[in-house]
Amino acid sequence: MLRKEQNDLLTATGPDSPMGRMFRAYWIPALLADELPENDCPPVRVKLLSERLVAFRDTQGRYGLVDEFCAHRGVSLWFARNEECGLRCAYHGWKYDVTGQCIDVPSEPEASGFSKKIKLRSYPLIERGGVLWTYMGPAETPPPPPEWEFITVPRTQTFTTKRVQESNWLQAMEGGIDSSHVSWLHRGDLNSDPLFKGAKGNQYNLNDARPVFEVVESPGGLYIGARRNAEDGKYYWRITQWVMPSFTMIAPRGTHSVHGHFWIPIDDENCWAWSFDYHPIRELTEAEIAAMRDGKGIHVRYVPGTYRPLANKDNDYLIDRAAQKAGRTFSGVEGIAMQDASLQESMGPIVDRTKENLVSTDNGIIMARHRLLRAVKAFADKGVVPPGVDPVHQKVRSAAIVLPPDVPFSEGASEALIARPAVAPASV
Amino acid sequence: MQSESARMSSAAEARFRVQGPNSTPRVIKIIALDAAAEVAVRRLANAGWRHATFFTAKSPDDALSDLAGGHRSTEEEIERADLVVLIAGPGGHAYAAPIIGAACSARRVTTTGFVVDGMSASQPDLSKTLAQLRPWSLMVVIAGSDEYLDDMMTALRA
Repeated sequence: MLRKEQNDLLTATGPDSPMGRMFRAYWIPALLADELPENDCPPVRVKLLSERLVAFRDTQGRYGLVDEFCAHRGVSLWFARNEECGLRCAYHGWKYDVTGQCIDVPSEPEASGFSKKIKLRSYPLIERGGVLWTYMGPAETPPPPPEWEFITVPRTQTFTTKRVQESNWLQAMEGGIDSSHVSWLHRGDLNSDPLFKGAKGNQYNLNDARPVFEVVESPGGLYIGARRNAEDGKYYWRITQWVMPSFTMIAPRGTHSVHGHFWIPIDDENCWAWSFDYHPIRELTEAEIAAMRDGKGIHVRYVPGTYRPLANKDNDYLIDRAAQKAGRTFSGVEGIAMQDASLQESMGPIVDRTKENLVSTDNGIIMARHRLLRAVKAFADKGVVPPGVDPVHQKVRSAAIVLPPDVPFSEGASEALIARPAVAPASV
Repeated sequence: MQSESARMSSAAEARFRVQGPNSTPRVIKIIALDAAAEVAVRRLANAGWRHATFFTAKSPDDALSDLAGGHRSTEEEIERADLVVLIAGPGGHAYAAPIIGAACSARRVTTTGFVVDGMSASQPDLSKTLAQLRPWSLMVVIAGSDEYLDDMMTALRA
């Protein structure tokens, strides 16, 4: 459990909240590069950390992320014309560049210089690996650009999607480090999903539904190891990475791609679930990408024209009680992502953690909260840069590996847990 | 018309959740297995937990002691426990781990192992401690600071 004030502290991410200010110390994914496919394309509404913004790509290919509303009469700039290096408001023609600077007020004499007095709040927007990243903190102290491996490999080796999740970011993220639910909720998917099946490690999973866990602090967050028995007295480890505040990376399976998530607050009751798949040393195949587009693995199918999952709360997640009864799915909901999201959304927009009863196997979640609470306090009180900002903390991998029984996995898998260019992931 | 899932997961519906308690307190036994762990356990014990009791078990015999030095029966204490937390420092002997672990295993009592100062330990020392804790722990935690124990205890409603 968390006390109410602790729960409030970690779940509130608006501009004036401590956790919101800490989120603003990081580069976070804002939108897919494909959402702004060409110069002068239509602007896109973006809501992040409880702020409504609009993203656009100007005539010279520069990206902008600015306050959604025109400084004149408060009209949404989603209706604006994207023309000649700026967004021109559809109401009275006020025009803004990618920095939010007003560069034209048609009703005022140009010589008056009035436009120079108008500037919308704006944030930098940069492209890395097919994702547009923003930094929403103080302009004078930007962190180094993001260096996650999935955005540094060639574009043919990586594939990223996003979906709306109708819950607070923390309960979504905690699902990503809650390794003990996998043997239950997702048990039907290991042998059927094309992005998982066929790996030798799956058999270790299926032979042992009650793994033993180890939680180890890492420089950027946590390693969460799930241990099962392997041959000759050795242990099969599946090691999940959590990097603060909201990056998770799941242990790979066989020669399949590696995958993980970012959980980014839209507001306090909704978040973006970013889902990436990549392979460090090979291109993704057409079949893999087709499967990802079809909602396999950790991805979803969408309501057409949106990033809302096709199975959502408005259709009871297309729950199939017959499939549940027959054991084809454990919860009746199809697909790993929506199996998770349906249950996390059922907790309510912000779960009341004063009522929960955690158990020993929840130490990964307890430790993550412990680290977040300490980081928020250190950041608020002393300006201590939180873990995960340093690019060194971002150059990590998850791993699936067999080790001798007395070896600390953080030592035995130390090289496997670091992203190294052109080196294959440790996977079983 | 909204689906049942849409209606029931709203903030408005959260007001109607049952407000009564949904659990009874768990009995937690915290046991220091060596001198390094005893320092952490004595500090922790001073925080005034309602449902946790604290012990040391530092010798290879069956001796469980409370923090005042009084002898306690391992079997009786384990019999009353819902969760046992075994705490050890890197490189220590943790002689009592198999005795307590076996008692927990026989009574189906959940165990958590915690390595004090584990982040700064050498690999041989950490390996030695893990070899002692792993066979008897459902969960092992290696944290940079024993202050984590406070948050873990709060989370477990100790």
